[in-house]
Formats: sequence, C-alpha cells, structure tokens
Amino acid sequence: MSSKSNTSDPIWEHTEESEEQRSRLEEMIAPGTASDPNVESEENATVTIDGRSITLEAGATLLDGLEQMNTEGYVPALCSYDHEEKIGPRSECRTCMVETDEHGVVPSCSFPAEEGMTVHTDADAAAEARDVNLDLLLGNHNLRCTTCGKNGRCELQNVSIENGVEEPRYGVFDDREEYEPIDDSSAFIQIDRNKCILCNRCVEACNDVQVAGVLRMEGSGSDTRIGFQNTEETMMESTCVSCGHCVTVCPTGALVEQGLVDSSTIPLPGFTHKNSIGKIAGEDYTGQARTMTPMIQDQYTENEPVVEVVNRRAGTGTDTHQEADD
Amino acid sequence: MADDDILGADPAIRVSSGGPNRSGGRELLSAAHEAASETAVAEVGSTGVPALEPLVLATADGESAFFSRCPPERVGSIVETLEAGELPTEGVMAVVKHEPGTSRLPRPANGPLSVGTRTVLGTCGWAVPTSPEDYPADGFIASEIGDSNEAIAQVAEAKLRGRGRGDAAADVPIADRWELAREAAGEAAIVINANEADRRATTDRVLLESAPLAVLDGALAAGRALDATNILVYCNEADELAQERAAEAAAVLEDELEEGISIEVLAGPDEYKAGEATMAIEALEGNHRLEARLRPPYPSEEGLHGRPTLVHTPRTLVQVGEILADGDSSSSEGSSATGTRLFSVASEGDVSGDDETSAPTTVELAAEEDLATAREAIEFDGHLKAACVGGVFGGLTRTLDVPARANALRAAGLGTNGVIELFGEEECMVAFAGNRAVFGEEENCGRCVPCREGTQQLTNLLREVYHGEYESEGIRELLRVMDTTSICSFGRDASRPTRTAIEAFETEFRAHANGRCPAGVCK
Ligand code: SF4
Ligand code: SF4
Ligand code: SF4
Ligand code: FES
Repeated sequence: MSSKSNTSDPIWEHTEESEEQRSRLEEMIAPGTASDPNVESEENATVTIDGRSITLEAGATLLDGLEQMNTEGYVPALCSYDHEEKIGPRSECRTCMVETDEHGVVPSCSFPAEEGMTVHTDADAAAEARDVNLDLLLGNHNLRCTTCGKNGRCELQNVSIENGVEEPRYGVFDDREEYEPIDDSSAFIQIDRNKCILCNRCVEACNDVQVAGVLRMEGSGSDTRIGFQNTEETMMESTCVSCGHCVTVCPTGALVEQGLVDSSTIPLPGFTHKNSIGKIAGEDYTGQARTMTPMIQDQYTENEPVVEVVNRRAGTGTDTHQEADD
Repeated sequence: MADDDILGADPAIRVSSGGPNRSGGRELLSAAHEAASETAVAEVGSTGVPALEPLVLATADGESAFFSRCPPERVGSIVETLEAGELPTEGVMAVVKHEPGTSRLPRPANGPLSVGTRTVLGTCGWAVPTSPEDYPADGFIASEIGDSNEAIAQVAEAKLRGRGRGDAAADVPIADRWELAREAAGEAAIVINANEADRRATTDRVLLESAPLAVLDGALAAGRALDATNILVYCNEADELAQERAAEAAAVLEDELEEGISIEVLAGPDEYKAGEATMAIEALEGNHRLEARLRPPYPSEEGLHGRPTLVHTPRTLVQVGEILADGDSSSSEGSSATGTRLFSVASEGDVSGDDETSAPTTVELAAEEDLATAREAIEFDGHLKAACVGGVFGGLTRTLDVPARANALRAAGLGTNGVIELFGEEECMVAFAGNRAVFGEEENCGRCVPCREGTQQLTNLLREVYHGEYESEGIRELLRVMDTTSICSFGRDASRPTRTAIEAFETEFRAHANGRCPAGVCK
C-alpha cells in the first residue's frame, strides 16, 4: 500500500502481464480487509525518542525511528513488517505501543512521525499495554513449540523470550476440543491456524505483492481466520500457485513449507507436529501430484457487498468512486 | 405516497407512528381518510414516544386533542366530532391549547411529551416528514450557505461536538474535522451514518423518520460549506421506514434546491459493528466483509475512496442545522451553544425493541439539564439501583445527577451514545457485565488483539468470578489496555460496562466469588 515499487515481483510477471491486466486483477481481488489510509509521514520529521532526537525521512512511522536506536523499553512490534515491501502496517497486535506527549499511547508501527513529537518507550501505560497484548496473543496460541516447524525461527517465540514472558497472564490455548484441524492438503504448504496471530502478512503477500488473490481474511470476532477467496476449505482446493511468498512472511508456525514441518522440532519419539493437535484436514491429498490451478476464478460466491442501494438519484454530482488526487 | 402538508390546516387529523408501530398507524390513517370529508388528514412521523403510538392528533381552532394508542374503530367518531365543529375529547390523553398553525408539536403538561425540551424534536410527530411546505418557515438552511469560512466559523464558535458512536467526530469539536477535510486533496463526501443496530439507541432513527428534511438539510449545508459532491445516507437494513423517508427527502431537496450534490440512500447490515464510522465507509465502498480502518489520518482527510469524508450522525447534523439557522445571532450565550442531546430511555427488560410497547422513549435534554430529568419520561416504579448510560457499551451509575454534556458524561465514566437504561433492585451487576462482555466477544470485527482477544479473556475472567476467583487488578489491567489500545471505538467502549460495574458495585463481584448473588438472579 505504501511504495508501489515492484522490486519483489518475479521478473516474468512483467513480461506476461501489462499494467492494465494487473489492475484488472487487483479489482477482482477480495481480501476482506479494510482499505487503510496512508499512515506514513508526509514530510521529514525530527522526533525525540527516550530523550534522544532523530530525524526521519518522509514516509516514516514512529517505529522506523524506534528501530534505529536502543530504546529504554523493549518494543516487540510483532505484527509489523517492512512497509517498503507492500506489506503492512496491519497494526493489529498492539505490541508496539509507545507513549507520546502529544497523542498519549499510540501504536508506533502505524503512527505517522510528526515533527517535534516526543516518544517514551518505557512509560508505564505503554509497557503495560505491550505486555498485556502479547499475553493476549499467547492466550489464543497453541504454544507447543517443541513440535513446531518454526521452532527457533519464530518471531512470536523470539519476542516472547525477549519480553521475558514466563507465564502468560491468560495461559495458552490448550483445549484439544477446540483446535482447528491442520490443513495438510497441499503438497507444499501446511496451515496450522492454531498458531496464526492474524497479522495478515500472508494475505497481503498473496494479494498485494503476488496479486495471486488466493488468501483472504474471513469471519469476525473469535471466528476470524485466514481463508481462501474461492471460498473452498483447503489449500488444495484453493487457487494457490505455490509461490511460497505467504510462508516467507509468516511470523509463526501457522504457515510452514511441507518439507520443513518437522525439521526444527525437538525429536521426541512418536511426537510430531501433526499429532500434536490430532486433527488433520486433507490428508488424502498428500502425495498427490499438485496441478496448477487458475489464478483467479471467474466467480466468487461470498464476495457480495454488504451494502444495498435503496435509492440513487442521478443528481448532478459526481460518482463517489473517484481518485482523491485527480 | 406521503401526504402533501398539514401545517396550518384546520380542522386537521394527524396520525403519528414510526418504526415498530407503523403498521398500526397506517390502519388508523386509512380509517381517517375514509371518514374525513373536509378535514385534512396526514401521516406524520413518530413523536419519539412509541409508548403513545399510534397517536391520533385532532386539531381545531388552536386546540389539539391527543389520543394515544388509538383503536381503529375510534377514528371514525373522532373525525365525525371534529367535522361537527367540536374538539373530540372522549378517551382523550390530553388537550393542549396552542397558537393556530404552529410549526411545532404542542406539548401536553404531563407525560413523556412534557419531559425535557423539544428543540430538534420540535416538528417530530407534527409536520409531514417529507413536505417542504411543512419545513420551518425560514426555508432550507443549505440554500443560505454561501461562504464556507463563515459556516465553519459558526460551527467552531458553537463548539459543536459529534453526537453518538457512529459519528467520526464523536465527542470532539466537529469544526476541527471540517478544517482537515477542507485542506485535504480531493472532492469531499458526506456520510450520514444512521446505521445503529443497538435497539436501545433509537434517536437517529427517530430523526430520520420524523424530520428527514432537517437531517438532510444539515448535511447539504455541511456539503456546501466544504464543496462536497456526494452525500450518502447510510441506514440500517432493518429500518425500512427511515430508508423510505430519507429517499423521499433526498428527492424533495434535489427538486427544491437544484443542488449540485448528489444524494444516495444505502442500507448496511443490521450489525452493531457496521455502525462504527470507518466500517460504515468500508460498507459503502462495497466491501463484503467489515473491519475498522486505522486512524489517524481520520476519514475527514482520507475516507470514502480516499476522499475527504465527513461521517456524522443525524443527531449531529440537526445540530449543525440549528447553529447555521441561528446564523448571525453570534451573541449565542456560552454553554447552551453546545446544543441539546437526545436520549433513548427505557427500563431494563424493555429494550428488545421489536415489541412496539417497549421501544425506548426519546427525550431531549439541554446541556445544563441532568439526566435525572429523563427518568420522568418513562414509568419506572421502585428504587433505581443503577442506570446504564450509553447503550450496550454504556457505563453504570448509581446517580442520574449528571449534566447532559459530553464532557460531563465522560468524566462520570459514562457513554455518550444517547441511551439511558434504568435498572431496579432485581438486576445483577455481574451478570450485566458478563452479558455485555459476551456481546463484545461475539460482535467485534476481529481485527485487533485488545478487542478480539481482550473481550474473550474478559469473558473468561468474569466467568471465573462465578468459580470463586475475582481478580480485581487483573480485570482492571485488561480493561485499561482494551481502552487505550483498541483500533476503534468498539474495543474501547467494550471495556466500559465492566469497568463501571466494578467501580460502583464491587461488593457484588466479591459476593459472587463467595457463591452468592445479592440480586438473587444468578444460580
Ligand atoms: S503460496 Fe499460494 S497462498 Fe501463498 S502467496 Fe503464493 S499463491 Fe498465495
Ligand atoms: S498465517 Fe501467518 S502470516 Fe498469515 S495471518 Fe496467520 S500468522 Fe500472519
Ligand atoms: S476494536 Fe474491535 S471492532 Fe475495532 S478494530 Fe479492533 S477488533 Fe475490530
Ligand atoms: S506491530 Fe504495531 S500493532 Fe503490531
């Protein structure tokens, strides 16, 4: 959403696809997420962070400043991702909260760096917020690190250790009855939603970067989950082209390459990632040859707008759908 | 089709109904039309007091007789008496003398219509909602707006704050947002956010049903001040009458003013979250799934399709109209310039909303009036144990001695969505907190951790109270974080019921942890 550079796209995309085609694809993509405003600063800004002043170029959020120094308080900023990469800020985990003299406690990953702002990372309210929100995430996370394919290279694990989490306030998600089955249908990627923190990186990687239009956010409340735009239930039945971008950006063990599913687990006899949960969907597919599926299906069934037009008079005004800057 | 106009007609019969009891009103209306030969008959909107409706108003010679919940078979004889030159009085609720041809509903000395003030409610239940002839004599405010600086300055001077959770400028001075919108690139749009799924909160629906021209006129005035090109009226899919009236009013205004601003009426989902200002924009942009947007920047800078967008409730817009109509009388005295506030008042158990007898009563309070005034508008016998102020995510208070101003309500820890629910002794405050937490858990959009996971853990912590564990500090800590770090007002507000319940009724939480429900409700 920020920079429109295509540097991360594979070279062949440019030869096969005109800009026009690409924008047509973008229009058909329905990731189910909100169109956030641009939260990056418009101008260079000098801000003071924990007593030291730093000048940030236009296009910066407060987190860009925090990342350039050793802050007093540890700021996990778990869901953030390099915003140059067209991914984020989703700003959902709220483990990047800092206190500012001007606006109180704000999420640093999605707050524009404004000239003259004064930021404190170690203020009590901000530290409490980061701790509580991290524990809230862990409270809904299947924390079986020993059987997880991302053990040792997991961002959630890293920040939890760094934040000194010993016993999460709200426990960890450990109710076998309520586990979502692991989606093991794809020969390339395994999905374990019990480890998903809903950071949306995979959805953005798939839609905004790859323009593959496979993944989406679906549901609401505690039923919010990563799903497929063609409304199928498993990765195998989705329109995935197995580019792997989603796996690369996933901070947790929710998306793992099939080859690595058991690679980093601590070998306990008879105890694997799959049987750690005991529910698996799409096992039948394993070993099947993977065929490419069309990138975008012609028809989506559940992507109807929630709003209905009651009455639209022609008027003399313009269509609501216009670009801000024309 | 709506009746033409009724103001000034003599003799006249008005049938007032709205929302849940409109079908009853239609029945009375056709009975009246049938019986009348020289009497003017018109359907008007709700007075805001559904408990009296359908209400028949018989007017002759500067006197009006009120027949509340009038049975259809009575209508014929009312018309007959009127046409015989007499004011019918048999079975009457009230007879009120007034200036002949008055543009505002005459107010009985007793009962709910006598409570508080009736400024923005003045024409509700009296004027034909979509009749330009019945619109207050000085004409449309929007047509007077010439200089945008002046209009913004007037709104700024009045220090008008946005009314209700659906307003993107809820509780903050709206003129600041207008300034931002004016400076932002792109043509401005105005969203009238009338989608309220909380059936306790009916004030915006009442305004759109009963005074749609005032709501749209306020929006058009704002639109002119900001050179906006579009107005979108965002209704709840369940509020069919509000949609219908808004559409008719839009047609009237476009004809009358030959306005360059197009007006659309749209219906969004009947879900609480869909009323949040940025989710309203998401819905209007055609998304199939709703979640809140980040802020800042606010919709006033980057809203509908990236355009500067004001999102105001009907409540806010009628206040805008009042301010701009007063125009040059810049002598407006200090505090009262902040305008009146509307409240839907009900006693607990009454707010299912589908039952016509129990829909909440609308009360308008001036800024210096206390909420206690509103209590007189409904029947509530017995001791008031607590009131929940602000709707489903309102705050509990033991006293209604709180002025009807945003900052006073906030200071008392209460919500500002214009709802007062009265609770008697039989209400359990722990169960109250639990129910509201579960609502939050089920209805949130799922985007941010403090709200999505926070409401879930809050529910767990409240459940634990029933198992003997009341972790006061832990609960307060969670509520603080929900309040300070949630993306939108949903998560922030969701912390309020439990926080205020603990503040005012902590002994009940301790009693539950010891296995006892003081109200005798929980097993
Ligand atoms: S691997 Fe499939 S789901 Fe993941 S980004 Fe690529 S196309 Fe999308
Ligand atoms: S699957 Fe991974 S990348 Fe996708 S939302 Fe979940 S945690 Fe984030
Ligand atoms: S506060 Fe709740 S409703 Fe608002 S964005 Fe967060 S999860 Fe969604
Ligand atoms: S890193 Fe800012 S909210 Fe997650």
